Amino acid sequence: MTPGEWIFIAVMATTLAGSLAAVLSGSLIYALFGLVTAMFGIAGIYIYLNAPFLAMMQILIYVGAISILIAFAVMLAGPMYLRPKEWTSPKKFVAALAVVLLSLLVLVGIIMGSFRAASGAKPLIVTTQELGRVFLDKLTLPFELISLLIVVSIIGAIMLALFSKERK
Amino acid sequence: MVNDLLKLAGSDAGKMVIGLVGVLLFVVVNALLLTWAERKIAGHMQRRIGPKEVGPFGLIQPIADALKLLGKEILTPAKVDKPLYYLAPTLIFVPVLVSFIVIPFDASLQVADINVGILVILAFSSITILSILMAGWGSENKYSLIGAIRSVAQNIAYEIPMLLALLPVVMLANSLSLREIVEKQQGLWFVVIQPLAFIIYFIAGVAETNRTPFDLPEAESELVAGYHTEYSGMRFALFFLAEYTNIFIVSAIAATFFLGGYQGPVLPGIVWFLLKSYLLVFVIIWLRWTYPRVRFDQLLNFAWKGLIPLAFLNLLITGGLLKI
Repeated sequence: MTPGEWIFIAVMATTLAGSLAAVLSGSLIYALFGLVTAMFGIAGIYIYLNAPFLAMMQILIYVGAISILIAFAVMLAGPMYLRPKEWTSPKKFVAALAVVLLSLLVLVGIIMGSFRAASGAKPLIVTTQELGRVFLDKLTLPFELISLLIVVSIIGAIMLALFSKERK
Repeated sequence: MVNDLLKLAGSDAGKMVIGLVGVLLFVVVNALLLTWAERKIAGHMQRRIGPKEVGPFGLIQPIADALKLLGKEILTPAKVDKPLYYLAPTLIFVPVLVSFIVIPFDASLQVADINVGILVILAFSSITILSILMAGWGSENKYSLIGAIRSVAQNIAYEIPMLLALLPVVMLANSLSLREIVEKQQGLWFVVIQPLAFIIYFIAGVAETNRTPFDLPEAESELVAGYHTEYSGMRFALFFLAEYTNIFIVSAIAATFFLGGYQGPVLPGIVWFLLKSYLLVFVIIWLRWTYPRVRFDQLLNFAWKGLIPLAFLNLLITGGLLKI
């Protein structure tokens, strides 16, 4: 095997180990660090696919911002070292069923989809400039829609904060 | 034998090893020098002399301190969460080492010129917070945990103005590579065009390194030592080393982005770069011995209501002027 393949395997193993730790760990804080490991693994995949900008954004946003916010939420959420008491509730079975169905759907989509055609070709090298140009040229509508989504969530957060103040 | 060694040093792997050893050496020497400078400057600012017994002007003092820390027994408190407790001091070093890869010390003295250079530093500097969180959580100590929570809140608040202050420079230089940003400042330093961004970046940088007046995560008079209360000996020294290296990195980025990096007349580039960086390091030390610690609500209000709107305005004006 080439060194590149070994690196790919290492990156995949990191991602998988991290996600397994995130799902299976009983302690919230360990689950969080598992999630962080998985995010790092995904950033590694981006680097492997010749997209350094995306990889750095992955670390900056998911490791640097989202996971820190999750940590904040965990710390505000009371006794976090206690495991939840009930392990089998009907809700969990429904959730598990939904997750399995969704993953099957995604898997079928990947296998049937057009990804396979590109697997032999080398990944494109896209510079940051090109990426920016595409965002503000071809993909303006989705780009703006995403910012709309962020505005909605910010307004929602402000409303929540306002209402909880009134109740006091 | 010598030829073999030279050949090995010329290869990619050899270069990487040499770069890594050089960076580690620099980190240690920088930390030793800064602990000495900190105590000496603090002394003179308080009309004392500072360390003077060990060596001329007390210059050997940091080596004596390091030997003391190395010789100490490594204690592990009984109730700590072991994996997190052990991992935190090691992990805090990752962002430090990664940052040195992209910092251009001179026109040709840079481990690697990555075209998303500044993103590498900003992305990896967020890992520092994660290891602080690990240390605070793993210590199972309320002072540590409060320190870690404060650190998280502080870093969320100050990372945003930091990014927003660096963006106008990226727009002016039209590049994310640190070397290109330095090259674009040949005639005029960006601090002349972007004085507000420089000040915002510097304030946010001081807050990111947890230095006074923003040292709430490790406030001695309230939290013993914050997130590293339970650490001793060499593990404590690692936190210390990382903190001093972070001070240098913040100053080095400020010098690269706003003060022309290695550009300067007569003297070689690396001398200019180190001169500018250590001048800013001196300012950070100066701040510590001049200002008292801020209150936590002041800290957050200052970031969210002061720095972030200002930085946004600055970004908007810069963007508008660039397009005209």
